[in-house]
Amino acid sequence: MAHRSRSDNMLEKLHNQHAQDKVNDRMETGSFPKVRKKPRRDLNRHTNRSRLISSILVMFMCALLGFAYMSQINNTKSTYETLDENELVRLLNESNTQISNLEQRKSQLSSQLNSLKSAANEQEQARKIAKQNEETSGLISGRLAARGRGVTVTISKGTSAKVDASIMFNLIEELRNAGAEVMAVNTVRVVASTYIQDADGGLVCDGITIEPPYTVKAIGNPQELSNAVDIAGGVGAQLQVKYGATVDVQSSDNIIIDEVREATQNKYAKTVE
Amino acid sequence: MAAVLGLIIGVVVGVFVRPDIPVVVQPYLPIMVVAALDALLGAARAYFERSFSDRVFVISFLANVITATLLVFLGNQLGVGSQLQTAVIVVLGIRIFSNVSAIRRFIFRG
Repeated sequence: MAHRSRSDNMLEKLHNQHAQDKVNDRMETGSFPKVRKKPRRDLNRHTNRSRLISSILVMFMCALLGFAYMSQINNTKSTYETLDENELVRLLNESNTQISNLEQRKSQLSSQLNSLKSAANEQEQARKIAKQNEETSGLISGRLAARGRGVTVTISKGTSAKVDASIMFNLIEELRNAGAEVMAVNTVRVVASTYIQDADGGLVCDGITIEPPYTVKAIGNPQELSNAVDIAGGVGAQLQVKYGATVDVQSSDNIIIDEVREATQNKYAKTVE
Repeated sequence: MAAVLGLIIGVVVGVFVRPDIPVVVQPYLPIMVVAALDALLGAARAYFERSFSDRVFVISFLANVITATLLVFLGNQLGVGSQLQTAVIVVLGIRIFSNVSAIRRFIFRG
């Protein structure tokens, strides 16, 4: 039993000896620290902090790009700084020619405007004259009714002789000479072509039979018209003396002659321009 | 994500602020914008190729912008500003087209 314990003790001793030897046989002394090979630095090696910084940097740069882009878009109007001399000269020439073209166009248009204006004026003038002419000729030709100051001459039936066409004609001529502008005998408007002829029991004026008492309306200066009739030895006196008719001349400020007649169309006569 | 967000923020700020660009910077701004666009599209291509690195993006962005600006500045100093500007724009345009076509291949391949 004792022998066995001795041999156990022996084995353990040997084992311990071996372990001790191993430790003593180690080559690492501790005075030379092991230097490991430097690992290759990986570009993608990130700690959390550096990743944050770099993504902020990327974001900032992209923001810069977008900002610059938008500013450039807002600013494309003034690009003349980047043009060189030749281009600037060309631009200047172009604008100059454009300016002269526009000036030319402007003067053309303004002369056109002037001519149009004067044409419009002329047209206006012509229209005015035409209107005046129309009125005048309308009154002369009897196309328009007329009113104004004048006289009404009333001639009764002649007692000693029949009032004939010649004395009526004289009366009308006298009134015309005195400046009567529009006249009417009874219901007949006196125009350039009016005629008077004798007929049974009266006169025929322009194909219309008129009977005494004759009423001659005339528009003109009342004073001159009545003078023309009443003048000594004139038509009025002749009518009274020769024909025994009463002649009554009434001046009025408002004679209305509304007898009108159709305008005649001239078949042969043409106006001279 | 950060890039898109930044773009949106920048555009919105640009729309609302409407800044007065200093006269000195005015001739270079369009070139800067095109260069930055090129960098952005390059980054997008790298993203699709799974080799995107934000450090590389930042550096390429700055390098693009500064190079383009300097080139145009040099051209202005030498009196060939507009020609050099055209050259820069053409080169950047070609790069943008090639980047876009690469991105297109990545999108429509699979």
